[in-house]
Amino acid sequence: MTLPEAHNVTPEVQAAIVEIAAAYPNVNAHPDGDGGAHVVVQDVPLGPAYAQRKTWVGFHITYAYPQADVYPHFVRADLSRVDGGALGNGTSGGQFRGQAAIQLSRRSTRLNPAVQTALLKLQKVIQWLNSL
Amino acid sequence: MAQQPMKPHRLVLPAGLKSQLDRHLFPGDRDEHGAAILAGVAETAGEVRLLAREVVLAEDGRDFVPGERGYRMLKADFITRQVVRARDERLAYLAVHNHGGTDRVAFSHTDTRSHERGYPALRQIARGMHVGALVFAKRAVAGDIWRSDGSRVALEGATVVGPRRELLTPKPGKEPQRAEPHYDRQVRLFGDRGQDILARARVAIVGLGGVGSLIAEFIGRLGVGQFIIIDPDRAEWTNLPRLVGARRSDAAPACLAESARPWLRPLAHALSRPKTSLAERNIRRANPKTAVRAIRSDIVAPQVANQLVDCDFIFLAADTARARNVFNAVVHQYLIPGVQVGAKVVPDKAGNVADVYAVARLVTPESGCLQCSGFVDAAKLQEESMHKEERDAQRYVEDDGVVAPSVITLNASAAAQATNDFLFYMTGLAKNNASLDYIYYHPAHREPRQEKSCRRPNCLDCGQGSRSRFGRGDGSRLPVKLPPKR
Repeated sequence: MTLPEAHNVTPEVQAAIVEIAAAYPNVNAHPDGDGGAHVVVQDVPLGPAYAQRKTWVGFHITYAYPQADVYPHFVRADLSRVDGGALGNGTSGGQFRGQAAIQLSRRSTRLNPAVQTALLKLQKVIQWLNSL
Repeated sequence: MAQQPMKPHRLVLPAGLKSQLDRHLFPGDRDEHGAAILAGVAETAGEVRLLAREVVLAEDGRDFVPGERGYRMLKADFITRQVVRARDERLAYLAVHNHGGTDRVAFSHTDTRSHERGYPALRQIARGMHVGALVFAKRAVAGDIWRSDGSRVALEGATVVGPRRELLTPKPGKEPQRAEPHYDRQVRLFGDRGQDILARARVAIVGLGGVGSLIAEFIGRLGVGQFIIIDPDRAEWTNLPRLVGARRSDAAPACLAESARPWLRPLAHALSRPKTSLAERNIRRANPKTAVRAIRSDIVAPQVANQLVDCDFIFLAADTARARNVFNAVVHQYLIPGVQVGAKVVPDKAGNVADVYAVARLVTPESGCLQCSGFVDAAKLQEESMHKEERDAQRYVEDDGVVAPSVITLNASAAAQATNDFLFYMTGLAKNNASLDYIYYHPAHREPRQEKSCRRPNCLDCGQGSRSRFGRGDGSRLPVKLPPKR
């Protein structure tokens, strides 16, 4: 697990990473130089619809968090469905920190920054991915 | 080494909190009542502002009782509770009571002796936070501030921020000097005092495109004394029809800026005048005595947002989510009112013009929060907070390259409303019950429209919850980038 030193990210971003690290055992976070961080959560279980059992999930918590949404999220590039079907709406090919990935586009409309956290958003995105 | 003179200390009080306090202190019984104010602190080069975040009313007979030495006193357990709360939240503690009278007030000798007995101990409990006392008359306030560094200073006065600005002082101030003759026509509306207020005002304009350029011209001609103008961009050929006083020589011709020869483009950029420079030229032409601080940078850059925190009013004329986010934070954290202003042409799905409007959204500490009202788009804010390369790689819906329609006459409607909001607020001409709704104008229908803003109790900007930045001043961080590492 790699977590950024507190002085490299804003206190809000640091708190978000700590919360995520408490929920997932294998988290790496890399400061972006502005006070935000790119975060990768490893070994996230996938549902039975997918040919793979686990994926990494990457996302960028920017310095403007929590007012800024945390989106998009990225998962392994070779993600595929057991039934051979397409991954569906809201997914597209992309790159996360130079690595090929599937981009998951789940914007939060009317986000309430007092309630929505990066961890809640991550959990919603994983739930949505597993419901496709 | 010579001792630095003490900076003036001023209380800033949102009008809603002032009303709450007035109802408690002056219920019509001509008696004394007590309360406490918990306040954030904002210290700038010129002054110290105590920013009222919360008023705690002392219940007569329980918290505010007959005094052992004076007429009435706050009970020790009430004081201790509030000082400890203030200390834990990194706020100043200010004890409040009232005297009779209207526009003059002062502490009695008994009051002063009581401060000298009690405040050294309170300052110790407060551990690094200021403590002090305020005494109010109906339209006056005096204060005795015991600073955390061991010094003691008398409060200069208070600014009440609401639909209009109200200044409270311990006693009536001197009559202002007669305004310069060329201001004669406007002085007939707001008097020499109004002109003096404008001359002393410090105003920020964020964004000096079509709307900000007009605002700079308007308030420059009103005689505002100090400007902070912020914009990172240079004038472009296509800006010229909307920038006040712009000459063709202020922007490199489009043929240079868009030349097929890439080496010509930096030259074109260098040949174009910064928008801050154009606005400064206009402001100085309107009023050579004015002081202008021009900042060619983005509002989210470290240190730039901090330039706003000692202003009296802020115009936001930059249409980005990140500028709105910082502006909204400054308004609520430092209790500085402002107006977000713009004009928009809305296309329908076929690309035809569906709506055209100019808008002025007044944002005061207690009304008009852009966060609560849904005018800080969280997704757009996320995109704008990424580096360009990352944004470009991820973009799939909107395109930075899309150029929105913009027309000077639409901008003028918005700029006029916003500058009137400023003028009537600053000079006290606005009615106390004036609407604080957002104001739209739809020229295609020749129709004005008002829209109510929202306020969520748990808002991180305008709410009163423990995580809210409201009134915290320097005790909270603005939502800007961290400074670059050396």
